[in-house]
Amino acid sequence: MTGADMVQRKTRGRILVVDDSSLVRLYCCDVLERAGFEVDQAINGLEAMEKVLAQTFDLVIVDVNMPRMDGMSFIRALRGNDSPVASLPSLIVTTEASQQDRDDARAAGANFYLVKPVSEADLVRHVAVLAGLPS
Amino acid sequence: MPFIKRETAGQADAATAAAEAPQLAALQDFDPDVRWSAARKLGGVAAAVPALAHALKVEQNPRVREAVMTALMRVGDEASVRVLLPYLHSQDAAQRSAAIEALQALPEVVSPFMTALLDDADSDVRILATELVRNMPAGEATRVLGDLLERELQPNVCAAAVDVLAEVGTPEALPALRACAERFRDTPFLPFAIATAVARISSAG
Amino acid sequence: MAPPDAQGGRAVHVTHEDVRRLCEFIYRRTGMLFDDSKRYYIDRRIAERIAATGSESFQAYFAALRSDARQEIEHLVNAFTVNETYFYREEHQLRCMTSHLLDDLLLRKQSGESLRIWSIPCSTGEEPYSIAIWLMENWSEVDRHNIEIVASDIDTRAMKAAAEGIYGARALMRLSPSLVDRYFVRLGDGQFQIDPGLRESIQFTHVNLVDLRQMATYRDFDIIFCRNVLIYFDDASRRIAAESLFDCLQPGGYICLGHSETMSRISPLFDVRRFPDAIVYQRPETLHDRS
Repeated sequence: MTGADMVQRKTRGRILVVDDSSLVRLYCCDVLERAGFEVDQAINGLEAMEKVLAQTFDLVIVDVNMPRMDGMSFIRALRGNDSPVASLPSLIVTTEASQQDRDDARAAGANFYLVKPVSEADLVRHVAVLAGLPS
Repeated sequence: MPFIKRETAGQADAATAAAEAPQLAALQDFDPDVRWSAARKLGGVAAAVPALAHALKVEQNPRVREAVMTALMRVGDEASVRVLLPYLHSQDAAQRSAAIEALQALPEVVSPFMTALLDDADSDVRILATELVRNMPAGEATRVLGDLLERELQPNVCAAAVDVLAEVGTPEALPALRACAERFRDTPFLPFAIATAVARISSAG
Repeated sequence: MAPPDAQGGRAVHVTHEDVRRLCEFIYRRTGMLFDDSKRYYIDRRIAERIAATGSESFQAYFAALRSDARQEIEHLVNAFTVNETYFYREEHQLRCMTSHLLDDLLLRKQSGESLRIWSIPCSTGEEPYSIAIWLMENWSEVDRHNIEIVASDIDTRAMKAAAEGIYGARALMRLSPSLVDRYFVRLGDGQFQIDPGLRESIQFTHVNLVDLRQMATYRDFDIIFCRNVLIYFDDASRRIAAESLFDCLQPGGYICLGHSETMSRISPLFDVRRFPDAIVYQRPETLHDRS
């Protein structure tokens, strides 16, 4: 491995993907890494909370429906936290059926929402914008 | 040495705690600590299910609600499952996720309800129901989700089923998975998810 | 056809997709992420477990793992972690205790009120004695407060060993010679015994974490160390044990889990608190809604 290889490639941003489904996480990691982002994952809102407190991220993407701590509760906990993570940009992913979820997301403090299933192009475009937001 | 040994741990109030009959009325107390204690004491008490059901309807405190659901989970009979199931339809994401948590611990009791849940008119309920299939034996899970994939029109429900099959599925699931991939070939994510699931299920060994 | 292994037997064939399936299962269940970059190491450990369980195929092994037959999840995870117990293991949590937790706890205490610390499971005692020694060595306030340390385990043999407090040199490897001199008596044959004064100041009890009646008699703890046990319980037992532990804590009290454990797989009851040395979990000061 050359010295050049060992220098960390500059990343467009660090993204935390939070979804109960391993395949969704795999997809998002795959899409976003190819687009030049660094990606970490969590399986529910509680794990997400631990990770955002321990590491720096530019954006967190959360699904609404997760056991143990759903996406909405996570965003509220995030916004209510007594630390810099409170202003971490967040993107919530909802399912078509829930207008309620989208209204709740806005009320809870999410920066934006997307509806599943999310296309590669939409995902990358929104992440690029939101990860660039000042936090 | 600053350490003191009291010999009280494990002895205090065992008799008193047992003798004190849990008050069903305490479930309605204005103080959440009292409601919490009542819910914990009523755990596993089948006769308390109606009172626990009522408490769940009105309880606003998420921790007390958690304790009430645990109490129902510990009863673990058909009556308690019937109390928990409607919360899968809740508009409140937190209530849906709490209900799923409790139901996941009761795979045998939930099993007779699975067909109806996977057929529910609400696609979000069908999505949650696929999670409950994860705890079923591999053959049964494959059959149930294979059937679902054959008739399901909502891609997010299919995606949820595919995620469970990626872990649990046997090769019997392959035809349904491939047909589903074909049907949804122009949607984002699902073809990728199915390809991954197929790779895992087909894996030799 | 599976290639023969080094012993000439038939090795079970495990593919990359099999490994990913297994890693995803373990991640979901325990929160532990087996990193793709350590592929070779992971493959070896899985092969060991397949052989140890006499599984004829990966499918058979994975089915046993999923159903946690004969505690296979614990066996697999143990194959990946260093199991031995020794003094000052997870020192960062002890440091967090003296650097941050105790100050916070004292704010809520009346003068003269004891600090109560619970080590459960205490196993053969390295943990509760480490807590005591660490406090005496690292907490400037240690002589100004009464501290009660309770140590409990479901295994009575381990508990008896803990009460006896005899250890080999290996368990003491993290302790400086002066610490060993200060708190241990050197027995013959390379063994060391905890000073009798210290041994006698810790209360050892027998407890089953999932027994609600037993757990209900433990109250008002300020810090609970509950490491490397909850994650091996099934979903229902984890939930019940977590609720009991919540009740065993004072409002505002803290619970510390094992290094690879996370409450995200166990219970939503606790608040997560991040300190420089550790992530710990806290019972909120009140159940009353503050909103």
